[in-house]
Amino acid sequence: MPKVLMKGNEAIGEAAIRAGCLNYFAYPITPQSEVAEYLVRRMPEVGGVFLQGESEVAVGYMLFGAAGAGARVFTTSSSPGISLMSEAISYIAGAQCPAVFVNIVRGGPGLGGILPSQGDYFQATKGIGHGDCRMLVMAPASVQEAVEMVMKAFPLAEKYRNPVMVLGDGLIGQMMEPVEFPDHLKSEPTNKDAWSTNGMDHRNSKKRNIVKSLFLDPALLNDNNLQLKAKYDQMRSDEVMFEAYNTDSEYKGLVVSFGTMSRVCRTAIDLMKADGIEIAMIRPKTLFPFPEKAVADASKKPTCTHIISVEMNMGQMVEDVDLSVKGHLPVSWYGKCGGEIPTPEEIIDVVKSRIA
Amino acid sequence: MEPELTGIVIVVGAYGSGKTEVSINLAAHMHSLGTAVRLADLDLVNPYFRTRDARNTLEHLGIEVILPPASYMYADLPILTPKVSGLLRNPAGLALLDVGGDDVGATVLAALADSLKGKQVEVLMVVNPNRPHTDTIKGCLKMRNEIEDKAKLSITGIVGNANVMAETTTKDILEGYDFCRKVAGNGKLPLVFITATTELLTRLDKKAIQCPILSIRRQLTTPWEEAEPLGR
Repeated sequence: MPKVLMKGNEAIGEAAIRAGCLNYFAYPITPQSEVAEYLVRRMPEVGGVFLQGESEVAVGYMLFGAAGAGARVFTTSSSPGISLMSEAISYIAGAQCPAVFVNIVRGGPGLGGILPSQGDYFQATKGIGHGDCRMLVMAPASVQEAVEMVMKAFPLAEKYRNPVMVLGDGLIGQMMEPVEFPDHLKSEPTNKDAWSTNGMDHRNSKKRNIVKSLFLDPALLNDNNLQLKAKYDQMRSDEVMFEAYNTDSEYKGLVVSFGTMSRVCRTAIDLMKADGIEIAMIRPKTLFPFPEKAVADASKKPTCTHIISVEMNMGQMVEDVDLSVKGHLPVSWYGKCGGEIPTPEEIIDVVKSRIA
Repeated sequence: MEPELTGIVIVVGAYGSGKTEVSINLAAHMHSLGTAVRLADLDLVNPYFRTRDARNTLEHLGIEVILPPASYMYADLPILTPKVSGLLRNPAGLALLDVGGDDVGATVLAALADSLKGKQVEVLMVVNPNRPHTDTIKGCLKMRNEIEDKAKLSITGIVGNANVMAETTTKDILEGYDFCRKVAGNGKLPLVFITATTELLTRLDKKAIQCPILSIRRQLTTPWEEAEPLGR
């Protein structure tokens, strides 16, 4: 297929179809509404369903229902909408069902603003729902990577029977870039007999499935959460993704940055390199699991004096960077929010002043 | 050959076809020819990458940009400033209207029907064949009908804006030109002009192209790219 020019939101919609997901439930919110606008045209062409819920609360439970019935399902929303879905996300995680959530993040807290932000890092990686629930979170830095991550999200959600999120800042949804789509994947989860409640007739297993997150017996709840913990531990060992940039150089400082913010940092690093200043970057592609080892290893470069987490928020990922570096080098944050995005020049000034 | 347009020019097209980039560059081009240019941002549907983002550059050149009131600049609200009707009443020089995408974006034009009544108006539909929904002639003509239906206006010409951003080649421009000529022919409309970046123009075989070409200096860039200086 030739390259087409697509807005991130449109590409995310097409990627879900290519991944064999024919069930899309959503509620419009800026800056992700184009996913629904795209899929309202596209889903009928492929025999799929787009249903607009009456609210994000309803949408979250529509996903739970479809997932419980063994269907590939996804939704897209933006920050306040994800907050409304967080109850359902916790139920889905508790009941061990797969579902894919895309958050095209806008500024917060509250209604905030409609411009790009990375202010939902904490929510996505640490506070997505009540109870001992977590989800795998991937953060694309380009429209092409958003396509790849959305396509990867479905098999990952099914492998772990757990919600998976693709977390893009508003720019990922709104900017246009050339994209290519890989071929269609299989349209049905291969392991759905393990959880789905779609009748015993077509099933190999004789085990009765019940989709629920209620475990009144403390031993059973403890047991369920031990199963969840084992999955999250496996994610930590098997699913970490990151990109290392300029780490072969004798760098004086290390930048950690994700999403489109990392592309501004890359420009700043290239400009500094041309000026004779070597700076490296670790770009987490998974935010949970966080690439702790990659950051720790990169921080041990003998020439490195300082680590800076550059974010479109008031300092969230910096806590994970700090936990990874474990105090052996100074770690600091730089960032802006509300749609203000640090420029390459600002980043250069900050980096230069801190590595000095 | 470069395009020359004056009077009321309304730029419509599919979502993401490049209306705003075309409008900004057309405004700067006509301004450089000595025409008084006013550009109105009528994009009520798109939250990012709007004319308002290039406001400072345009105003620095001396081009008046008509926008919603400053306090609503970052709102995703359908605000139509009354200054637009004023612009249409007195369209001296070039009065350029950059409209939002698809039929949804063009709906705003129906609200201006009274101000447009009896006026000579050019309504140009921007086509990028590398975009979904307008990659076939049938798709382009469907888009035309949908826009005309909601805008209560007839499209009077096609603008060819074939590109895949930074990855565009001269081959894309030539193939896009052929495609847009067919769209125009099928729709019994003139192909008013096509576009190419200033960099591609230096390498393009211009003899193969029988219509004006607007050179594009990209203004609606991401925070890690630099806009090309506008004006000459």
